[in-house]
Amino acid sequence: MKSVYALIDCNNFFVSCERLFRPELEGRPVVVLSSNDGCAVSRSQEAKELGIPMGAPHFKFRDFFQQHDVAAFSANFELYGDISERITNLLASITPHIEVYSVDESFLDLSELDIDHYQAWGHTIRASVLRHIGIPVSIGIAGSKTLAKAANDRAKKLPDLNGSLDLTEQGDMTDQYLAGLPIQDVWGIGWRLSPKLRAEGVHTALDLKRMSVHRAQQLMGIHGRQMVTELNGEACLPLTREHKPQAMIMRGRQFGEDTNEFYVIESAIASLTARAAAALRGERQLARQATVTLHTNRHKPGYRRVSETVHFYTPTADTGTITSQLTGALAVTYNSRVAYHRADILLHDFVSENSLQTDLLGTVDLDSSQRSHQKMQVVDWLNRRHGKGTITFAAEALSQAWQPRKQLMSPRYTSTWDELPVAHLR
Amino acid sequence: MEPVTGPYGASSETGTSLSVHAGFPNPAAERNGAPLSLDKLLVRHPSSTYFFRIRGHSWHRWGVFDGDIAVIDRALTPRERELVVWWQEGGEFALSPFERATRQNTWGTVTAIIHPFGEMSR
Repeated sequence: MKSVYALIDCNNFFVSCERLFRPELEGRPVVVLSSNDGCAVSRSQEAKELGIPMGAPHFKFRDFFQQHDVAAFSANFELYGDISERITNLLASITPHIEVYSVDESFLDLSELDIDHYQAWGHTIRASVLRHIGIPVSIGIAGSKTLAKAANDRAKKLPDLNGSLDLTEQGDMTDQYLAGLPIQDVWGIGWRLSPKLRAEGVHTALDLKRMSVHRAQQLMGIHGRQMVTELNGEACLPLTREHKPQAMIMRGRQFGEDTNEFYVIESAIASLTARAAAALRGERQLARQATVTLHTNRHKPGYRRVSETVHFYTPTADTGTITSQLTGALAVTYNSRVAYHRADILLHDFVSENSLQTDLLGTVDLDSSQRSHQKMQVVDWLNRRHGKGTITFAAEALSQAWQPRKQLMSPRYTSTWDELPVAHLR
Repeated sequence: MEPVTGPYGASSETGTSLSVHAGFPNPAAERNGAPLSLDKLLVRHPSSTYFFRIRGHSWHRWGVFDGDIAVIDRALTPRERELVVWWQEGGEFALSPFERATRQNTWGTVTAIIHPFGEMSR
């Protein structure tokens, strides 16, 4: 049976989430800034047309935004996460064969579905996501994931297609669309491989499709061979349905203002550790190592950083244990004459929660590990049930000074009762 | 069906759109033996359901109060006399019978309004 894949990709996803609850922003340039109001991570079409680049730093563009009536938001990840989950659930009701590729992109395997006309099917799905959830998406359909991704790019950029393109048939039409796709925009090429390919005279997706698999393999290894095969409509990359556990978990934040107060830093470490450890427990993993890094402001002269790594004899996902070890280690090397700008927590060197229970060497204190596990389950449950931060460890609450400014953040419309959108009786 | 008492019942007298509540208890939504779930009662389509806070004091006689929570389902196609949330030119969401809105500016259909009493409302 011939395989068919669809890639459903939300258009300017973060901006679309903001517009859902602020319809007056339709047609106006909108950007969403990374947390801490750093730089543009999502731009509306109008903002792109104004020439605002991806990653544009807010402090450089503040005046420009004002002049051009650009609406700027701080990233509201609770909102985006909720909307993303709604879209995933809707798509999963079409077929269980889904790969959630990122927060705003999912692949569907359509091979087992009975669809007569793929392009029309795409338009139906598009209309349904727009109506049910309120987010515009683009849909690309083809015999391989790489080609579906290419189809999606064309569907998004060519207005005549109305957001859906079917490239399941090989032929002149498909080749024409591929000829319009620059090589650096092909999935898996990017800025690193594209200069190499351009040197070979490969400038578009069509050029790459026509390259011999032999030459592609010489240039880019097995990856290159797969790409050429996939662009010819033959699937090499199956859906990745199984969730791969992460190899490391990092959480970091800038301080509200630069600080040399140890209690502020300690509090930040505790809060970041709480989030990282909760993610670790969600993965059913335990960490053998944790690292804390403090940075001064990179944009100011004399940039420096300190870093401490601790090893856990008994692998752990316990917020309290990790926090106390990290702050203890840091207290030794901490320099109170330096004002720090940012803190990062990295948990790494994981073992699975299950493997701990079969530790035959007896090096692990199973009893205390079990108690800690149960305690953290309750903490996670309470925080899930009553909102993040219901249960915090003492050090977390020491200081809120490090909390980043979120002046531009929209309400958490879908996750906090106090921040619901308002409807006026008329 | 017996008339319902309480805030929702009031709507049947006035003939506004709250008739959507005629089908309110949907026993099929609950599986045998499972405890009753308000979530399942009030939210038929979780992916397309959003909550809004109601502002305004003009609907007391229909049992709708300032601060109530409206359950909005975007999956439903509104019919005449049903309540909808719609986007008003000038920059705010309005809640009113569908007749005052258009297909274009309708945001979603109201499926329930939740009104807390006493302790709960504080």
